Amino acid sequence: MRFSWPSPRHLFLAPLALIMAAPLIWMAITSIETPDQARQFPPVLIPHGIDWHNYTRAVDSAPFGAWYLNSIVVSLVVVLSNLVLCSLAAYAFARIRFFGANVLFIALLATLMVPFQVILIPTFLIVRHLGLIDNVSALIVPNLVNAFGIFMLRQFFRTLPIELEEAARIDGCSRLGVLIKIVLPLSVPALSTLALIMLLWTWNDFLWPLVAINTEKHMTLQVGLSTFQGQHQTQWTVLMAGNVLALLPLVIAFLLTQRSFVRSIAASGVKG
Amino acid sequence: MRSPRNLCALAVLAAMLVAAAGCGGSSSSSTSSGGVTSIVLWHGYVDTEGKAINTMVSEFNKTHPTIHVTAQFYGNSDYALQKVLTAIAGGKPPDISYLYGSWAANIAQSSKTVDLNRYIQNDPSFDWNAFWPSERGAATVDGKIVGVPALVDNLALVYNKAVLKKAGIPFPTANWTWQDLRAAAAKLTDPAAKQFGWAYVNDGSEDTVWRFEALLWQAGGEILSPDGKQAAFDSPAGVQALTLLQQMAVQDHTVYLDSGNDLYANLFNSGHIGMLYTGPWDLAGFPNVNFGVQILPGDLNHQTISGPDNWVLFNNGSARTQAAWKFISWFTSSKQSLEWSQRTGDLPIRSSDLKLPGYARYISTYPGVATFVKNLQNAQQVRPVTPLYPKISAAIGQAVQSVLLGKAQPKQALDQAASQVNAILAAP
Amino acid sequence: MRLLRSDHVTGWLLVAPATLVLVAFGLIPIAWSAVLSFQHNDLLSAPHWVGTANYQALRHDPVFRKSVHNTVVYTVLFVPISIAAALAVAVALNTRIRGISIYRTAVFIPVAVSTVATAIIFNWVFDPTYGIANWLLNELGISSQGFFQDPDQALYAIVAMTVWGWIGFDVIIYLAALQGIPQELLEAAAIDGAGRWATFRSVTLPLLSPATLFLVVWSTINALQLFDEIYNTTRGGPLQSTTVVVYYLWQQAFQFFNAGYGAAVAEVLLVAILVVTLLQFLISRRSVYYTS
Repeated sequence: MRFSWPSPRHLFLAPLALIMAAPLIWMAITSIETPDQARQFPPVLIPHGIDWHNYTRAVDSAPFGAWYLNSIVVSLVVVLSNLVLCSLAAYAFARIRFFGANVLFIALLATLMVPFQVILIPTFLIVRHLGLIDNVSALIVPNLVNAFGIFMLRQFFRTLPIELEEAARIDGCSRLGVLIKIVLPLSVPALSTLALIMLLWTWNDFLWPLVAINTEKHMTLQVGLSTFQGQHQTQWTVLMAGNVLALLPLVIAFLLTQRSFVRSIAASGVKG
Repeated sequence: MRSPRNLCALAVLAAMLVAAAGCGGSSSSSTSSGGVTSIVLWHGYVDTEGKAINTMVSEFNKTHPTIHVTAQFYGNSDYALQKVLTAIAGGKPPDISYLYGSWAANIAQSSKTVDLNRYIQNDPSFDWNAFWPSERGAATVDGKIVGVPALVDNLALVYNKAVLKKAGIPFPTANWTWQDLRAAAAKLTDPAAKQFGWAYVNDGSEDTVWRFEALLWQAGGEILSPDGKQAAFDSPAGVQALTLLQQMAVQDHTVYLDSGNDLYANLFNSGHIGMLYTGPWDLAGFPNVNFGVQILPGDLNHQTISGPDNWVLFNNGSARTQAAWKFISWFTSSKQSLEWSQRTGDLPIRSSDLKLPGYARYISTYPGVATFVKNLQNAQQVRPVTPLYPKISAAIGQAVQSVLLGKAQPKQALDQAASQVNAILAAP
Repeated sequence: MRLLRSDHVTGWLLVAPATLVLVAFGLIPIAWSAVLSFQHNDLLSAPHWVGTANYQALRHDPVFRKSVHNTVVYTVLFVPISIAAALAVAVALNTRIRGISIYRTAVFIPVAVSTVATAIIFNWVFDPTYGIANWLLNELGISSQGFFQDPDQALYAIVAMTVWGWIGFDVIIYLAALQGIPQELLEAAAIDGAGRWATFRSVTLPLLSPATLFLVVWSTINALQLFDEIYNTTRGGPLQSTTVVVYYLWQQAFQFFNAGYGAAVAEVLLVAILVVTLLQFLISRRSVYYTS
């Protein structure tokens, strides 16, 4: 058995990780404190005993399960939709010369350049027109495509060696076939990164779900968590417990994304 | 090979949209169905208050079978305004909504807002005059009554008894002056122990402004001229009030300047701050402090400022408006409003509540509340009820903030703010 | 000729679904808000048309100008700092040492944590009296700073807070890109005798350039639209030192009930971002290296 020195990278990464993870640590500590411990300032870092009641209160005091489910459903559909539709569009923009492509690309990109507060009301009007207000689909339909995905995948596709695609086309494969059989398998890191990012945004989206949903059991997690934050009083401990629970799926998704990186490298072996 | 796959993708998308549209359309409120009128009420209550509203709404629904009220939580503060504005613009406002009093003048501009004059006149048992003057003032815009009082509060002096005792300062009396406040704050401040005597919210928002306005009124000043066309806060009274703040914050360094994120509350609860100007809403956040409440230290008088909020009714058809009025007049009647106060600790919204038998129990349940109720007598004026108030507030807020940060002198800051406000008031 | 024509059709067919959604929920709402910018509209009472009056007023608005200045300063600092730092961190994380999953997850956490929670933490960290930042500075012999409470420092404190909050995002993009670099190229460079730094400069960096361009464009678009962090900490203050364009726009629309004016600000911002983005694309043509 060989002994190997731990990598010097630990010296850099460990303190960095601590600084980065500090909020989660603080949130976790607050979530197991009693309310009067949480109302201290400077904050109590070493709680006197563990109070798990915040977690039970968070889950019991409201339709927490429904919120969780809604967030999961909305996120999954939005992520899948983006993966499919953005791949199609990004591939066209990356590899096909078609009339108006550049102008269209810039126009679609422009949708990223206006903050949501500005289009909040017209979006509401359109969704209301579709009869979807106060329905979970109101949270899905406007987000089926995010131009960010098109932008990111286009950049990524352009880095792939074109020879493989050209060879396939000569063999008679259609554009769509090339996309599905050649390009997408090579794009797993990019696709899983995009999936993670879209999950992150949908999961943490607050303003639109707040405005589009009125009934408590149709709310998503972020809006639901704000029920612990009143106008003058905030139930810190329960809020933090809720936040920790809300963070878990994102961390899991992140770990899965990292796994897919490793697997795709192993699978592709020698690239190019 | 190309087309079927493409069509397949499009078909999936179409199916998703159809499914989405298909399971949509569950409208959150409908008109009479089977003789029951359903209405929607929006509120921002959480925790104790959230439970209280749900309990009382169910009670109403049980005793009034022809009306069904659904109470929905809408989030809090500014996000709530966005939600309400969007709903109004989108043609789907709730029937009743809790809205800050500071928005009353703007909400009154909407054609959807119901003018309650007629309902009040037709309902003699409602007794509009039993509400405190500050509430009635905050709900009346150019003669239109746009809201039923939902909440009344005021600023009083809340102090940490233990901290004061330790510093050898006798508890504040009803005769305290500004000088008493300043002296006490100086004795309570200890930089080495990171202790402050007083706190002030210094984010330039209305939170910064309304505390200053109380001081302005105490010095005999006014915010605007009687005709509402000119700024009047740059008077000697205003300079005096702002100078007090400057002396305490910049010269004495006895004031913890809160950045607007309410850290002062946790600090007070941890014994780091001796005294606060705050309202009854904060009291529940001080479980670790044995606090006392006193009316504000004064100058020419001991006036305080109140920030009443309203239940605003929106017009979704006469059947629903009638039902909404029925609910809100029930909810704010003496018996129910005292029950609400008992459940939540909120101050009684009707002066007539004080005469009810349950009032003594309310006072004993919530320490400190009695002084806040007494202090309502000192809330004699209201802030200008004009749609321009948010901009006026912003100008004054900048002036106060710049002085507290030591970047400006009171007279210059107020003069500059006054010319800005005059320009705002003069604009067509 | 037939091949070309079917290219146009294929191209449009592939982009059609995405375009449909983005037109409906992106471009049409933007057009609506453009229309709004020519009105005096408080979203409550009946609006009336005022032509270009809002835009004229913008030109003479000192607070708007200040917000533009603040936004530009913020962007010019945030973009290069966050990207350079993210590259360094990504390279450090691009390895298989023990515990690497934990490190990577830790770097990702600030991005996943909601802005509200992040703001709460930084409000505490930067509190002039009780915060950890000043405690550290004092230990090092430096006097206490005002951070969020000091008009001259607040914007830089926001830069620090947002770099911390967003670096993980850039890192995961870079990690994905680094995974895509063929091992053989790196090995070939090593065989040719290139040291680690030389390999990095002449092989890795150029191959990362598409990712870098992407991040520069994306970070700029985001930085120019900064809002949430300001809303949850300084609220545009103190003394408007952190009032950025989107915060100003929000104030106009939802605090002062001047939605038409806010829409005009949004249109100006849109045009500015478009121009900056196009410039970035043009400039990048020479330095970005696509393997195809």
